[in-house]
Order: sequence, then structure tokens, then C-alpha cells
Amino acid sequence: MNCDDSRIYLPAYLDDELDVAESLRVQKHLAGCQDCRQTEDEQLALRSTLRDPDLRAYPSADFLERIEVVVRQAAKDEARSRRSSRFEFLRLESFGWLPAAAVLLVVTTIGALFVMNSFRSSHQQIIASAVLAGHIRSLQPNHLIDVPSSDRHTVKPWFQGKLDFSPPVPDLSELGWTLVGGRLDYVDGRPVAVIVYQRRMHNINVFLWPNRGSTDEAIRQEEVQGYQILHWNGAEMTYWVVSDLNNAELLEFARALRGH
Amino acid sequence: MTPQEKLSRFEQQISPHLKSAYNLAKWLTRSHADAEDVVQDAFLRAFSAFESFRGDDAQPQNAKAWLLTIVRNTSMTWLKRNRNAEATLGFEDAAAEPRERSLDPEEILLVSCDREEVRQALEQLPWEFREAIVLREMEGLSYREISATVGVPLGTVMSRLSRGRDWLRRILSGPKSTPGSSPKSTPRPLKPQEGAGLR
Repeated sequence: MNCDDSRIYLPAYLDDELDVAESLRVQKHLAGCQDCRQTEDEQLALRSTLRDPDLRAYPSADFLERIEVVVRQAAKDEARSRRSSRFEFLRLESFGWLPAAAVLLVVTTIGALFVMNSFRSSHQQIIASAVLAGHIRSLQPNHLIDVPSSDRHTVKPWFQGKLDFSPPVPDLSELGWTLVGGRLDYVDGRPVAVIVYQRRMHNINVFLWPNRGSTDEAIRQEEVQGYQILHWNGAEMTYWVVSDLNNAELLEFARALRGH
Repeated sequence: MTPQEKLSRFEQQISPHLKSAYNLAKWLTRSHADAEDVVQDAFLRAFSAFESFRGDDAQPQNAKAWLLTIVRNTSMTWLKRNRNAEATLGFEDAAAEPRERSLDPEEILLVSCDREEVRQALEQLPWEFREAIVLREMEGLSYREISATVGVPLGTVMSRLSRGRDWLRRILSGPKSTPGSSPKSTPRPLKPQEGAGLR
């Protein structure tokens, strides 16, 4: 580095704005150059003069106070204009805090119910998908039933020791629904019983597990990918019925099962 | 952010730099009354634009640079409107420059001692150099912050600081018989590679 370079880089060097490599080069030059060291001294002298606190301009105490007032006034004006422009219809101070709190409570409650409801229905959606997936899986060879039997006295005991509940296995053969067997499946984070019935080669999977929520015997139905899915919460069991059978017949089946 | 939150955050992050704002405005306008007007205007602008400021407690310097940018621009606008001259006056068209000579140690002592002379010398500096030096030496902004505040590249910040300081040194080491006279010249243009070697 020569003196011209040094002069160019010296200010940035003194301002601590050079990278390490450049700083070292400047340092090295300064160590061997009397003239540039003198320039450095001048720069440092000027710097300490410029940094002298007495050179600064100071605002008066009155002015500091005035700015504080001005800013707070601006905040107030802004708050007022925000309220009047966007929330005119919600101006709380216009009808007192008690009714306001009541309104808030109602709004919050409705909001919470809405959220819970949508959560519940999305939860139901997850179960419906799982049940449908279980049904489709069961249609693959050798997946439909673990215990092939048309005898409910064979199917029902088979679940013992495999589940923490004993699923009802009604005999609906007189109504035209043939019991073909049962199997275990896994839905909603728990092992569940699946009872399989048939009519005219249409398989009907009945998924059931103990109902931990409220009883709602009303049958909800949904069609997904050409399959009918029926659901209700019985007094003891939660039922999900899936089949490719037509809707009317499957409803008839569901009523038969529920009424049993 | 509610209006109340906004006010309290503004007072936490921005208001502490009020003195710096005034100092910069005073050095840029060179008038006490003008500086007060500029700062008040700048604070109102800063408050209404505060939502756009993304500062945090970990970087208090950024709040200062943010505010000083507004003060700087307000000063610029104010000067253009009220004086219609200085802010737009270029410095490149001035003629000669102070004579080249090195300073001896006694003169250096003079430079560092006479504060009133330094004040006058700094007030005589063209706007561009003055703002760079005030932001760097008095307010302690980094080159990068000055670059953002003033809106010029790093290399330009570097060269303005360098030329401004050279000019000050020459004024301060010049004949003492003409205190307060205007500088008749510009600093020698330095042309460092833009940003070369900078951090």
C-alpha cells in the first residue's frame, strides 16, 4: 500500500469500517510512514473535536416537553379517527361497559361454538375418511374378515380379549342381511370392531366402538367416492356404516341395526 | 397494534432519540427555530409511519437511524421550501480548493482546541459533507446506516466523509485572520473504489 492508498483508506480505517485484511494493510503502511502517521494524528485530533459533546446542539426543556405533548395528541387523534372510520357501530363507550361486556360475551360464545362445531365436524370428516379407507381396504382379497362366520355366536366371542368392549352382533338374517363375519380395525386412534354383513354381494362394513359422547340416534349420511357412509351415536356404541349399496337400502339396514 | 400500544412503543423506541433528532436538524438548518419546526414535523411523520418501522429492543441503533432518516428528509424538504437555495446548491461548481500543505503539531493543537472555530467551519461545509460528518461523528452512525439515511452508495459516504474532513482540517489550519469567511473552494475529490475493502 502506498501513501495515496493510505490516504484514501485512512478515514474508513479510523472509523473502524474496513475489513480485517484492509485494516492490516493500512496498519502496516502507517508503521513505516511518518507522513501518514501525521495525517492519522490530524484525523484523530479532528475527530475528538467533532465528538466533543459541547459541539452538539441541545434542545430546550420546553421543546422536549412540547414534542411529547404533540406526539400524545397525535396518538389521540389517530385513535379517534380510527374509531370513527372503522368501528363507529361498535363504539363501546356509547352504551356503557356492562352491556358491552354482555355483547362481548355473546360474541365470544358464538365464536367459540362456531370454532368447536367446525372442529367437531372436521373431526367427523377424519373419522369418515378413516372408515371409508377401512372399508375399501377390506374389499381386497382376504382383508374383509378375520373371523368368517354367519353365526353371531361365533363372531361375538371372537372379539373377546381383542377389544376392551363387547360389540353387539345382531342376527338380521330374517330381514335379508346376511352376517358374514367380523374383523378388527383401527379408527380414531383406537381399535374398533367391524361387523360385516352382505346383501346381493354388496358388503356392508359396520364399524363400532363405545360411545363416549352424547347420544344422538339421528342417522347422518354422506356419499363419498360412490360409497354411502351412515353414522349415528347410539346409547352405548358409536356406529359408522359403509357400503356401496344404494342409499335407500342402506338406510333400511341402519334402521334395522339400530332398532335391534 | 392498538393506539395505546403504538404510543407506548413509540415513546420507548423513538422518543429517546429526540435529542439526536434536534442536533441533526440544527446542524442541517443552522437555525434554532427552523430545527424545532423540522423536528416537530419529523416526529409527527415518524409517529404516523411508525407501523412501518420494524425495530426491536435488540437493535436500538436502527430506531435512531430510522428517525434520523425522517429528520434528514424533513430538513431537506423544509430547506427547499423555505430557502429554495442551499439544499439544491451543488458544491461541484465551486472553483479552487484550499492550498495543499501539511499541518505542524502546534496547528494540530489549535485544531483540537478552538471549538467555536470548529463550529463555524462545520457550518460552512456544504450540506452533503456536513450531514455525513454530523451523522458519523456526533450521532455515531455506521457507513451503512449513513448510506441508507442519505440514500447514496457506501463509496459516496466514504468519499464525502473523507473530503469533508479534509476541508475542515484545511479551514481550521488556514490563516486565522479571516474567521467566519466562507470557504472559497471544494475539497479535493477523492475517488476510492466504491465500497472496496469496506466491511
